Amino acid sequence: MQKDTTLDARGLMCPMPIVNLAKKVKEMKSGQVLELLADDVGAKEDVPAWCSRTGNALIGTEEEGKLLKFYVKLK
Amino acid sequence: MADRLCMVVSEGTFDKAYMPLIMGTTAAASGTEVHVFYTFFGTGLMKKNTKPKLPGMYRLFTGMFQKKMAAAGVPKHDEMVKQAMDMGVNFYACSTTMKLMGVKESDLKPGVKVLGAAAFLKLASEANTTLFIG
Repeated sequence: MQKDTTLDARGLMCPMPIVNLAKKVKEMKSGQVLELLADDVGAKEDVPAWCSRTGNALIGTEEEGKLLKFYVKLK
Repeated sequence: MADRLCMVVSEGTFDKAYMPLIMGTTAAASGTEVHVFYTFFGTGLMKKNTKPKLPGMYRLFTGMFQKKMAAAGVPKHDEMVKQAMDMGVNFYACSTTMKLMGVKESDLKPGVKVLGAAAFLKLASEANTTLFIG
C-alpha cells in the first residue's frame, strides 16, 4: 500500500500506540497516508476506533503473524 | 453535550494511578476534552514526585510491573501526568481532601488545579462519559 510515512509502534502497549499516532498525525498534512506498525493486540480494535472518533480514514489493514499494519489517510 | 470525559479517582495505588492516565491520554488523543478529579486517597497522586505502589501484598511486585511498562513505552507516573497535561488533560485536586490531609497547593505538581465538588459536578453534568476509578 502506498504511504507517505511510517510510525513504528511495535513493542509498545496501550495507550502508547494511539498517543504516538495522534502526535504523528499532527505533523502530517491532509490527504497523506500514514502506515502504523503495531503488535499490541488491543491495537486491532483501538486504531479503527480512534479513526472513527477523529474522522480520519482507515483505508487498509494487514496482518503478518503478530505484526499489524494500519493505513490511515488523514482528513 | 460536549465530547467530554470526566473521571473521579479516589484511590492512590499503582493501578488506580495508571488507569485514568491511560484512559485520559487515549481520549485526549482522540480529540476528547478530559477532566480528572482526585479525591481522598487519590489526591496524593497529584503531589510532586509520586511513586505509587500496587495494593496490598502486590506492592512487592511494583518494580517488576514498572519495568514491564517502561519496556512497552509507558512512562513513569510523573512523566505520564506531564505528557497528559501537554495533550490537554485537566487535573484537579479536591479542596476538601487537601484540607483533611494537610496537602498544600505548593505540594501539587505544576499545572494541577484545586477544585470543589460543585465545580467538578458542573463539568461532569455536561460530559458524555463519566467514570469512577475507586
